[in-house]
Amino acid sequence: MKIQSLAVIFIIIVLPISMVLTTFVQSQVQTIQLQISYDTKLDNATYDALKAFQLNTINSGTSDETNSKLRDIEASVNAFFTSIASHFNITGYTQEDLQNYVPALVYTMYDGYYIYSKNTNTLTDKDYAPGTTYQDGEQIYSLKPYVPYSCRYKRGNIDVVINYSLDNYITVQGIAEDGTAINLSGYVMTPENITDVNKSGYFYNSVRYKGIQISGENILQEYIGAGGDADLYYFIKVNGAKYYKKDPNSTSWSTFVNKDQYGSQSPYQVTDTDYSAPEYFARSKEFMEQLQYYGILDLKEGDACDASGTVKLVDAQNGTDWDSDLTFDSNMGIFERNANDTDGTLENTNSNFNQHRLKIIRYSIEKNLSAAIANYNNYDDGMTYYFRMPKLQEDEWDKILNHISIISFMQGLPIGGKIYNGYSIITNTKNKELVTEDSIYIIGGNDTVDNLANVANTNTARFYNVRSKDFISDTNYVTPALGVLNIDFEPITQVLAGGTQETFFRRPQLADYGSVVTQTNLDYDETEDIYQYLDRVIDDYGEKGRNLARVYYTALGRERQSMNRTVPAASSARESAEAAASAGTGGG
Amino acid sequence: MGDTLITIIAILLAAVLMFVFPLMTMSDNTDDISQLSVESATTDFVDDVRTTGRLNMDKYSDFVSTISATGNTYDIEMEAKIMDENPGKKTTQAISSKIGEDVYYSMYTSQILDAIRPANSTLALKEGDIFSATVRNTNLTMSQQLKNFFYKVTGNNSYTIAAEHAGLVTANGTAN
Repeated sequence: MKIQSLAVIFIIIVLPISMVLTTFVQSQVQTIQLQISYDTKLDNATYDALKAFQLNTINSGTSDETNSKLRDIEASVNAFFTSIASHFNITGYTQEDLQNYVPALVYTMYDGYYIYSKNTNTLTDKDYAPGTTYQDGEQIYSLKPYVPYSCRYKRGNIDVVINYSLDNYITVQGIAEDGTAINLSGYVMTPENITDVNKSGYFYNSVRYKGIQISGENILQEYIGAGGDADLYYFIKVNGAKYYKKDPNSTSWSTFVNKDQYGSQSPYQVTDTDYSAPEYFARSKEFMEQLQYYGILDLKEGDACDASGTVKLVDAQNGTDWDSDLTFDSNMGIFERNANDTDGTLENTNSNFNQHRLKIIRYSIEKNLSAAIANYNNYDDGMTYYFRMPKLQEDEWDKILNHISIISFMQGLPIGGKIYNGYSIITNTKNKELVTEDSIYIIGGNDTVDNLANVANTNTARFYNVRSKDFISDTNYVTPALGVLNIDFEPITQVLAGGTQETFFRRPQLADYGSVVTQTNLDYDETEDIYQYLDRVIDDYGEKGRNLARVYYTALGRERQSMNRTVPAASSARESAEAAASAGTGGG
Repeated sequence: MGDTLITIIAILLAAVLMFVFPLMTMSDNTDDISQLSVESATTDFVDDVRTTGRLNMDKYSDFVSTISATGNTYDIEMEAKIMDENPGKKTTQAISSKIGEDVYYSMYTSQILDAIRPANSTLALKEGDIFSATVRNTNLTMSQQLKNFFYKVTGNNSYTIAAEHAGLVTANGTAN
C-alpha cells in the first residue's frame, strides 16, 4: 500500500477520535467551570443571608429574644433565596424553581441550631381557626423547631442531659448521684484559677482569676444619636437587653426606642457599680462546686448515650448504623485534665471538656441534618434526584463548631450532563449570640494625651486588637483602658419619631490601623489561644501584661455575664431587685 | 523525477499528519486539563481564604503544589484589599457600607508572602476585605512550542493557562 493511502486511512481513523476527545474535554471543562461558578454563587448568597442576619441583629435591641430571632432568621432565609434567585436568574431559574434544589439551610446558634427545610404542617384542633395561613397536612418551607446541642448521660444514679454551647456555658438537667433533681447552668472554668472571691450582700465585689484582680466597674456610657444630636447615656446590660439613663442622678433605667422615646423600664435595680465581670468568674466557681457535689464531674465520655438512654454512643459507634467519623473514648473523663492540655485548664481548646463538647455538637448536627436532608426525598415535588448530606471536611467542621454560621445545601441542579451537589459554610464573628474570646476589642491610648479616665467619650483614643504589639511595646506603649464587645463599634441606624433615619456609632473611637484595619502589628502565634497568649505576656512583660489581662478578662466576664440565655444565668442585679421587692421598696 | 518529488512531499505530509498533528491535539488537551485543575485549585484557594479570613504558609504551599502538579511553572499574583472602616465615622449621617465611601489599602504578593513566611504566622483578613489571586503559566507548554513552530505568533508574555478568582472576605480571621 502506498504511503499516501496509509496516511489517509490514519487520518480517517484518528480525526474522529481526536474530535470527539476534544469535544468531550471541552464539555468537561465547561461543566467544571459551571460548577465553580455555582459554588461561588452559593457562597455569595449564603454570605448575603448572613449579612442580613448580622445587620438585623446589630440594629435590634431584642434580637436575642427567641421570637425576634426567629423573625431575623426568616428575613435572612428570604435574603438567601432572593440573592440566589438573582444570581441564577441569568441561567433562567426563578426563586420557586431553586427552592426545590435547596434541601436544607442550617443556622447554628449559640446553644443549638435551626434547620430550614420543607416539612408537613401539623395543626392541633386547638390551634385551628378559619383563615389559618397554613392548613393541617400542608407541605411548607419553614424553620423546624430549635435543636439544642445536648446529650444524655447515664452513670450509676446519674441521669442528666447536658446542653452545650459554642463557648464554655453548659446547662445540666436531670437526676444527680444522690437522687436530687437538678437544673444547673453556668460557665465551666478551672475552679483553682478563681480565688479570693469577695462577696458582700448580693454582689461579688472582686475576685482573682489566674491571680489577676477583677473588680466591679463604674457604669459604662455610650453615645446615642448622630452628629450634633449625639448624647452620652449611661447603660447597663442585663440578660441581653441594654437599659439606659441620661441623668446620672436618676434611678430610672429604661430600654431605648429612639432619641425622643424611652421604652419599658428595667425590672432590675441597678447599683452605681457594674459587678458583671467578677460575677462571671465567681459564679463559675460556685457552679463547678455544685457539679462536684452532685457527682457530675465524674462523668466519662462512655456515659454519653442516645436520647432514649438505652444505647451508649461508644457502643453505637461499633455498629452498622454509625455513619459518623467521630470516635468516643469510654474512659475519657469529660471534666478531667489531660496530657495535651498544656496549662492544665478546662478553658484550653485541647482540654477534654472542649474536645468532648465539640464532638457532641458535631454529632448532634450530623445526625439531625442527615435525617432532615434524607427526609426531603419523601416530598413529591417532581425531583428525581436523591438528596443526601455531603461529608463535610474537618476544617469545615472547625468553622461550624467555633462560630455562629449558616450552612446552605444545593443539590440536584443539572449542569452539562452532571448533577450539581454543593454546599457553602459562612461563619460570622459579629453578632449578639456569642461572645468569643476574639470578640473583645480594647480601647487604649496615651496616658498623658488622652483622657483615659473617661475613655467612653475620648475620641482621640483608638480601639485595638488584644494582641496588638503596642500594648507590650516599650517605645510606642499604649495603655489598655476598657474592653468592649466588637459589635459596639458597628454603625447603628435609628428611625426617629418623624420617620427620618440616621446612622451613628456608639463609640467615638477609630480603629487602630496596625492591629484592627491591617492586622499586621499583632503578636500572634497560631498555636496559642488567648489564655496562653496572656499568660505568656504576663511572664514576659510583668505589669504591662497584667494590665492587659485585667482589662481583657473584665470585659470578657462583663459581656458574657450580661448575655441573654435560653436558661438565664442568675444575676446579682435581679437578685437585688427580688430582695428589694420582698423588702417592700420596689425595684427601680 | 516528478514522482520522487511527490513521494518526498507525501512522506513529509504524512509525517506531519501522523506525528505532529496528534502531538498537537494531545498537548492541547493536556493544556485544557491543566487549565481546568489550575482554575479549580485557584477558586478553592481563594474561597478558602475568604471564608476563613486566614492565609498561612500551609494553605499557600498546598495551593502551589497542587498547581505545580500539572507540570508547568506558574506566576502567582495575590492581592489583598484591606478595607479601612474609619472614614465613615468622621462624617455625620454616614453609612459606612455605602459604596464609594470606604477606602481600600492593597497588599500585593511580596508583602503577603512576607507576612506569612515566619513560622506559625498568619495573615489575618477581616470581614469586608477583598482577596484575589491570579495564576499564569511562565514556561512554554508543549502545545505552545508546537504552535510557535507553525504559526510564529509569540511574545514574552504569552500564556495559555490562566485562572483568576476574587471575592469578599466573609469572616474575621483572628478568631482562634
